[in-house]
Amino acid sequence: MPDSPMPDNPMPDNPMPETPFFEVVVVGAGPAGSCAATVLARRGVSVLLIERGPFPGSKNMYGGVVYPRILDSLHPEWWEEMPIQRWVTRRSTMVLTENQAVTIDFRSQNWGVPPYNGATAYRPDMDHWLASKAEAAGARLLTSTTVTGLITDARGQVCGVRTDRPDGDVACRMVIACDGVNSFVAKEAGLYPDLNPANFTLGVKETLGLSRSVIEERFAVRDREGVDIEILGGTQGVNGGGFIYTNLDTLAVGVVLKLPALAAQKTRPEEIIAHLKSHPGIAPLVEGGEILEYSAHLIPEAGRSMMPQLTGEGLLVAGDAAAMCLAAGIWLEGVNFAMASGMAAAETAAEAITAGDVSKRGLAGYEKRLNSSFVLADHDKLSRIPGLVLSDRVQHQYPQMIANVVERVFRVDNPQPKPGLRKIFAEERKRAGVRLRDLARDGWTGMRGFG
Amino acid sequence: MIRILVCQKWVAPEGDSRGASHSPADRAALELALHIRDRAEDQTEVIVVSLGGPGALHGLRDSLARGADRALWISGPTDLRSDAVAAAIHSAVSTHLVEIGVPDWVICGDYSADRGSGSVPAFLAAFWDAEQALGLVQVTEHSASSLGAVRRLDGGRRELLSVSSPAVLSVEGSVATLRRATLARELAAATMEISEATAPLGPRETPVEVTAYRPRARMLAAPAGQTALERVRSITDTATAAAHGETVALTPDEAAERILTALRDWGYL
Repeated sequence: MPDSPMPDNPMPDNPMPETPFFEVVVVGAGPAGSCAATVLARRGVSVLLIERGPFPGSKNMYGGVVYPRILDSLHPEWWEEMPIQRWVTRRSTMVLTENQAVTIDFRSQNWGVPPYNGATAYRPDMDHWLASKAEAAGARLLTSTTVTGLITDARGQVCGVRTDRPDGDVACRMVIACDGVNSFVAKEAGLYPDLNPANFTLGVKETLGLSRSVIEERFAVRDREGVDIEILGGTQGVNGGGFIYTNLDTLAVGVVLKLPALAAQKTRPEEIIAHLKSHPGIAPLVEGGEILEYSAHLIPEAGRSMMPQLTGEGLLVAGDAAAMCLAAGIWLEGVNFAMASGMAAAETAAEAITAGDVSKRGLAGYEKRLNSSFVLADHDKLSRIPGLVLSDRVQHQYPQMIANVVERVFRVDNPQPKPGLRKIFAEERKRAGVRLRDLARDGWTGMRGFG
Repeated sequence: MIRILVCQKWVAPEGDSRGASHSPADRAALELALHIRDRAEDQTEVIVVSLGGPGALHGLRDSLARGADRALWISGPTDLRSDAVAAAIHSAVSTHLVEIGVPDWVICGDYSADRGSGSVPAFLAAFWDAEQALGLVQVTEHSASSLGAVRRLDGGRRELLSVSSPAVLSVEGSVATLRRATLARELAAATMEISEATAPLGPRETPVEVTAYRPRARMLAAPAGQTALERVRSITDTATAAAHGETVALTPDEAAERILTALRDWGYL
């Protein structure tokens, strides 16, 4: 039921009387779109949520951790209903070389009880649930329908969308584009500057079937507890990283690869996953897993530097469509940023419709909202981190240096006496070809970002 | 008024509504009905009927969105035996759609998405005392009251049929590709009225145990031959140079006629 019904609207009626009309059309029923539609519907705005797949989530490729605390206000006690696989209670960061692995492992049982922290989830389940909430709030969900273009009036103001259905135009007062990475809607509206392939990574994932008991034994978890392993190295020299996430009876194992590096290397992504799975530190974890699914997806990883204009004339862009995925080394988040930006877009849209001004100026509150929330605050703060994480030094030189240092620290070379840590570090730094000034510069960049 | 009844089954695999669908044959049945209606000179109405749980309403709304004029939902279990399904449909249509009387055409898919026995259409024809043309792979011509159709027979043979209404047809998915719903119709279908009926309790399908195919043993005479090698040769036919084809020298016209004759003999034409 609407929380606060819309007052009489000063805006004109349907600009295209022969076509169906909604006040807002949301393109894409992912986390951003469904949260936006829920907020709008609860505010009494008529909203059409258009999804190209046969059901929300059917077109997703995802293997990761969702951090849903942003839903506290939208769906209180969401953890009672949300279809998750495992609550992440253990986080590991691995640094791999060809035959070494350094792991920092953290476990907290506090993350296994409400309100929880992060969870692994199947997006077809999660997106379906989020969209059902939007429908329950009064949004109209239209599936198996692809938005093929925007309709604008003589002033250039978006006033509808064109779909691939027969007689498929829909009139509206404004559009919220949540159509994911490589957003055709945002690009058509001219909101994206020149796209640079270096801003994208290719996420490639295998879903491996293993029994629940085997997963719990190998990863040392019980019940619905789960593990998130982020990996630096192990990508055959292609800049990027790897990951392993535990679901109930499957593992998501994959790599994230910087596009230009992948193209230059001329290596197939599936070969890189196979190589990762054969690493001595990974193989015992994934052994015997049956490949149930193989998929790939572009990820907008450059953060703030690649974001499009977020506001157009009668148009807002949210979620991955606005490149809001945060890929900042130890923090790899996207769904929470998508949900928050979708909610902010919806609140702005509802206000703009009430005020009768959905022009770019009337929608300016969207960016202000994002700036005052974690969405752009985190992106601004961590704006240099994606570049640092994907740099050649962090990708190739530091992992070898760290692994060698750790190996020598724990190696017992009797009858030689134990060397000092400072000596080991200096020798290994030189052996890895790391210059002190580069190390200091990267350390400073990291401190400014993470500090 | 010509009335076309389309019987469909909405099947959700393992109870997950996200994968629910009509079979391609059920979709072809609806498209054939819509096509006949669109070409008919007389006023024609397409009514979709589905028996099942509340999930069947999704299927009916989908069919309404694609162009069906009316829908009837018969609430009941999905594992009724085919004769009970047909009886429920016949009863519900007779009771709730009295004005229809005997439908001019009843069109069903040849199989449902859960691959039942495909025998419902035959029972429907019996209940309505109508002609039946089942397992159609092509509908070659049609008017509102008669149509020509092609039916697949065993051995690669085809049967050409001429069917007049009232009749029950079952079609394979190859007959037609179902149209997409227009956007306005898709939106409107969500609130369109659907008549409701309840299926009487009837006999349920009894699960059949499926086992591997084992050919029945046959008595064969012992192979002729004095030695083991000769007996093996006689079984495998390796020593003979049997001609598996026929070589003929003909003019092009004669050759074409010869090919056509052979195809007729073999049942392709």
